[in-house]
Amino acid sequence: MSYEPKIIAFCCNWCSYAAADLAGSSRLQYPPNIRIIRVMCSGMVHPEFILEALNKGADGVMIMGCHLGECHYLDGNHITMARLDMIVELLEDFGFESERLSVTWLSSTEPDKFVKAVTEMTERVKKLGPVQGEVQTA
Amino acid sequence: MGVTTALEALSSCSGCEIAILNLGEALIPLLTEQIDIVHAPILMDHKYYGQCGDGGKSLQIPEAVIGIVSGGVSNEEHIEVLQEMRKKCKVLIALGSCATQGGIPALMNGQDSEQSFDAIFQTLSTDPGAGRPDRIVPKLLDRIYGLDEKVVIDLQLPGCPPNPAHIAEVIMSVLEDREPVLPTKSVCDTCPTRRQGKGVVDTVKRFVENADFDPNKPISDMRCLLEQGFMCMGPVTLAGCAKRGVPACIEARVPCRGCFGSVRPKGNQLLDMMNALASNGIDCMSVVDRRSIQRFCGAHGNLRPKKKSAVKEV
Ligand code: SF4
Ligand code: SF4
Ligand code: SF4
Ligand code: FES
Repeated sequence: MSYEPKIIAFCCNWCSYAAADLAGSSRLQYPPNIRIIRVMCSGMVHPEFILEALNKGADGVMIMGCHLGECHYLDGNHITMARLDMIVELLEDFGFESERLSVTWLSSTEPDKFVKAVTEMTERVKKLGPVQGEVQTA
Repeated sequence: MGVTTALEALSSCSGCEIAILNLGEALIPLLTEQIDIVHAPILMDHKYYGQCGDGGKSLQIPEAVIGIVSGGVSNEEHIEVLQEMRKKCKVLIALGSCATQGGIPALMNGQDSEQSFDAIFQTLSTDPGAGRPDRIVPKLLDRIYGLDEKVVIDLQLPGCPPNPAHIAEVIMSVLEDREPVLPTKSVCDTCPTRRQGKGVVDTVKRFVENADFDPNKPISDMRCLLEQGFMCMGPVTLAGCAKRGVPACIEARVPCRGCFGSVRPKGNQLLDMMNALASNGIDCMSVVDRRSIQRFCGAHGNLRPKKKSAVKEV
């Protein structure tokens, strides 16, 4: 059986979730591997959410937010950016390849970009394979 | 006759038992009126298989109301003893950071255990060293576990070592059948140092040079060590070490190293600390050897062998 990864996508309400919505209503096709969790802003995705997702069995995590400068809460996605380098580094400390995380900025009118990001991420995680080693249980 | 109490030490250093003894005078009424220690191999002679080995083949830990276990679980003997303690004790207390979150021995979890073993017991220059034992001495587990990863634990009492006052409080709470009153806030919350905003600090450094302070002045005149640019883990660490009104390390003018574990229940000190630094505009990459932030909480999967990225790091 071919390996189908599970990818959690945190989409901000204002742009990226709307883009996902539009992708759906435009009947664009994309891999069914993602599970979207709607958040108000990409800036509220605490690093622990990412770690928790991977710990609990996700194979990859996507964060999607508005274009820089277009965040509904002004600088939410800048905070996401500020944390990003740190999370990428830390993922390896916690035993995950840093490629298991991706970040995409898109506006609500870019469903094609959403589809592209999801397709690419699915490919990427497929190559990595399932999370190896011990997964936190507690 | 007091309430029966059994003590066990697993992967531990006996510092936690010393902390019990450090109750000092308060220990005397506790021992003479409140509790009755029925089993404590680390403090008093009591054998598992009868005093002369005549007690059969199964562990003999007497029944007790209170069970106190220090140290984490690192080998098969520890599991056996811990499970027996769980069976025999009504209330099981995890004593010390080793028991609650792995503690110092769980630093091992950050690297491959077979590699560590070879590194310790073999040398390049001499004869081949010992193989990994799996008989006679108990077999090592794949990693070090906190007690609650193996059995149900009723009360957690972290600290390396724990605060004697809290040990008494936990025991008394069991005797009085109520919830123990223990700190829930962070070390910073109990820290009297002067805080005036982070100012120009945008990196944190290791504690290889002394903090800036006047030894003749009280701690409350010293500026917060994090604000001085040192890696102080007070913000993410559970309070409890301030025995004389100042967190123990800060009293010695040294940054907090996080020994009480995460202030958030089941939190992750490394993640929380780095997140706090990043959100405050401090360059996280300036933290040298950041995995050592988990030095007291390597169980629960918090420390794992490092996974290298498939792409080359820049
Ligand atoms: S918590 Fe500290 S004092 Fe207690 S056994 Fe572990 S290392 Fe020793
Ligand atoms: S960071 Fe350290 S020195 Fe500063 S208040 Fe917290 S515990 Fe005290
Ligand atoms: S200051 Fe931090 S490291 Fe020092 S005793 Fe207190 S909790 Fe432990
Ligand atoms: S609202 Fe979309 S990133 Fe902040």
